Amino acid sequence: MSKKVLVVDDDPDVRSFVVTVLEENQYMPLVAQDGIEGFEMIEKEKPDLVILDVLMPRGSGIRLYRKLKTKETLNQIPVIMFTGIALRSFLKSQKALDEFNGEEVPEPDVYLEKPVEPEELVAAIKKKLG
Amino acid sequence: MEIRKLLFVTKFEDLCYDALNSLLALRNAALEHVIFLNVIEREKVAMKRGSGYLKEEEVKLKETANIRFIDWAENLFEMGMEVGAYIEVSTLIPEILKVVKRESPDLIVIGHSYKGAMKQLYAGSDVSELIRRTEVPVLVFKHMREDNIVPEKLFERPLLATNWSDTGKKMVEYIKGFKNVIGELHIMHVVKESTLKSPSAHDVQKVRKAERKRLDALCDEFESMGINARPHVYAGDPQKEIEKAAKEYQASMIILGSSDKAAILERWVGSISKNIADKSAFPCLLIPGKKNS
Repeated sequence: MSKKVLVVDDDPDVRSFVVTVLEENQYMPLVAQDGIEGFEMIEKEKPDLVILDVLMPRGSGIRLYRKLKTKETLNQIPVIMFTGIALRSFLKSQKALDEFNGEEVPEPDVYLEKPVEPEELVAAIKKKLG
Repeated sequence: MEIRKLLFVTKFEDLCYDALNSLLALRNAALEHVIFLNVIEREKVAMKRGSGYLKEEEVKLKETANIRFIDWAENLFEMGMEVGAYIEVSTLIPEILKVVKRESPDLIVIGHSYKGAMKQLYAGSDVSELIRRTEVPVLVFKHMREDNIVPEKLFERPLLATNWSDTGKKMVEYIKGFKNVIGELHIMHVVKESTLKSPSAHDVQKVRKAERKRLDALCDEFESMGINARPHVYAGDPQKEIEKAAKEYQASMIILGSSDKAAILERWVGSISKNIADKSAFPCLLIPGKKNS
């Protein structure tokens, strides 16, 4: 059975790109267009991997990532961050939120800064899912 | 009421990161979430004879906006804030209202352009339409000097103009949300010229005294919340007097209600808010009344 990969991104062109890459590599794509819808899909579908944008309406990828990693039943799901936001800013935001909330959220499994070539995305997915 | 979420509407020429930066003082109140909105006017990408829909132009404008928003968002994310962004080809006010419905912000910030009479008129009508159609307070941001430098301390000395309407009560509740941000609040009421038409100086002084007492009580209410407040009674044409008071006390912004009264009165009271928002050099925070009256 194909592994389920959830793509959370508000840009339809990006969703379409990632879905094509997933289908061509025999994964089952699921899509959500913002942080709130993304979290609902994760709870409902329990995907094998999440590919997550950061800057989105109705809940950013940063909040969704932290929600995912602090929920016991979901925190084992690997996440590939796929975004235009620089890694340096992402890590600073995590540090600020860790300090503010008294949490220690692990870094994402893979961090890809847009744009990436399909091969780079496939390699990252395969690294996590095989 | 706490200001947790802010909708920042920008065309980039009117409102940029410096303006946003001056609003970040609201983090000391409760601000934790900023939504960016850039509306690309349809005519910029609309079909033209011989060229069709300008898809390339749309991509260029969207990506230009995206690059700016990513840069701003990185700054805010690094502070631990939550950020969202919308870039849409649409019509300004309907798009703002759509995003307001999706995101439920506590404050809308919109710029005001001074570039030429036509643009000014356009910007003014945008603000009026927005105020008419939303219950969310709107901050009309202005660059206070000709060199376009933004007021650094927007909440240092706000001037609240009250006409004692129901909207005035809503304003008071809203401003309490700024308690950790405001330096000194100046509260004014303008006594209308018609009220002063009396042959007796004693009667006129009685009017002043009564209004001053009401303002004192309001100042006490704010001070009990930890907001320093000073009362001022003015007399004459409300629009001119509000502008005069803002200059005299070097206000950092003017706070006004936009009326929830019946249609005719609304037109009269509303026009003061609209005119000040359009013409004043000061940034204006407009707090709409309820829309069901």
